[in-house]
Amino acid sequence: MNSLIFDISITFMVIAIIPCIYRVIKGPTIPDRVIAVDAMTTVIVVILGIYSYMQESAFFMDVALVLAIISFVGTVTISKYLDEGAVF
Amino acid sequence: MKRYILYSMFLGLIWCFVHGTVNFNNFLIGALLGPIVIRPFRSLYGFENKISYMNIVRKIPKLIRFFYVLFIEIIKANVMVAKIILQPKMNIKPGIIAVPIRTKTDVGITAIANTITLTPGTLTIDVSDNKEVLYVHAIDASDPQGLCDSIRDDLEEYVLEAFE
Amino acid sequence: MIEIGLIQDIISTFLLLVGAFFVFLGMVGLIRLPDVYNRLHATTKIGTLGAFGVMLSIVAKLGLEPIGVKAITVGLFILLTAPVAAHMIGRAAHRHGVGLCKESVIDEYGKEHNK
Repeated sequence: MNSLIFDISITFMVIAIIPCIYRVIKGPTIPDRVIAVDAMTTVIVVILGIYSYMQESAFFMDVALVLAIISFVGTVTISKYLDEGAVF
Repeated sequence: MKRYILYSMFLGLIWCFVHGTVNFNNFLIGALLGPIVIRPFRSLYGFENKISYMNIVRKIPKLIRFFYVLFIEIIKANVMVAKIILQPKMNIKPGIIAVPIRTKTDVGITAIANTITLTPGTLTIDVSDNKEVLYVHAIDASDPQGLCDSIRDDLEEYVLEAFE
Repeated sequence: MIEIGLIQDIISTFLLLVGAFFVFLGMVGLIRLPDVYNRLHATTKIGTLGAFGVMLSIVAKLGLEPIGVKAITVGLFILLTAPVAAHMIGRAAHRHGVGLCKESVIDEYGKEHNK
C-alpha cells in the first residue's frame, strides 16, 4: 500500500525539477541560475532520501548528505566570486 | 583544556550521527579524534574568551524556549509564503529595510540573522560595518516601522536571552 | 502493537505528503515570483521545510536505525545551511548590480551602498 504513495511522491519531485531547469535556461541574471541550481539540489536530496527508504539501503542517504554539503560549498563559492571577483 | 573536552564531545556526537549507529564505541572514537580536528582550526573556535560549564547548563531552558518559538515561526512563514505563491494574481510590495539590532556578539548576530531568514516574509541581505544595522528584504514592506517593531519585540528578546 | 504501527504509518505518510507538496510549491514559486530576492524567499523557506518534513517522515517510520539517523543528519544540515547560502547569494546579487523588481516600494540598502 505504501509503495503507491512513494511512487506518487517521487513523480511529484521529478515534475518539480522542470521549473528549475526552466529557470536555469531562461533566468535573466546569474544569481537566478545559482538559486535554481541550489533548489534543484534540494529536490534531488529529497528524491534520494525517499529512494533510500524504498530500497532499504543506507548508501543513498550518504550520497544525499555529500550532495547537500557540495551544494552548500558551491553556492558559497559562486557567491564570493560574484561579490569580490576572486574566490580566496 | 575545558574547551577541548566540550567540543570533542560535540564532535563525537556528530560522528555518531554521520556514521549511522548511535552507541558508546562510536562516540568514544569520535571524541578521541576530536582534538586532532580542533587543533589546526583553533582560530575558528574563539579560544580567547572564557567559558564555564555552569553558564552553558544555565542556558539550556532558554535555548529550548528559543527553538520552540523558532519552530512556530517557521510554520507560520511557510503558510504565508505558500499563500502568496498560490494567489492567482501577484500583488506584493517587496523592499529592503534597515533594522537596528541590539545584539553585540558575533554568535548573537549570526543567530538573529538566520532566525530572521527563517521567519515570515523576511530575508537578511547584509549587516552594516559597525554591526548595528541589519538589511532585511521583506516580501511585504508597506509598513517598515511595524516590521522593525515586530522583529525587536518578538524575536530579539529570545535571541538575547539564549545567546548572550 | 498494531495500533502503534498504524499511528507511525499515518504520521509518516502525512509528513511525506506535506513535505513533497511544500517542495513542489517552492519550485512553483521559483517560476512565478518576479525577481531574485522574492525567489530566494520561496526556495529558502518552503524548500527547506519540505526537505526537513520528508526526512522527519523517514525518521518517524524507522526510528533509530542507520537510515533514520542519517536522515535526521541530512535534515538538520539543510536547515542549518540554507539561510547562510541565501544570505550569501542575496548580498552577492545586490553588489553585482541586480536591481529590485518594479513593484518594490523601498530600498534602504541601495541608498547606503550606491557606487
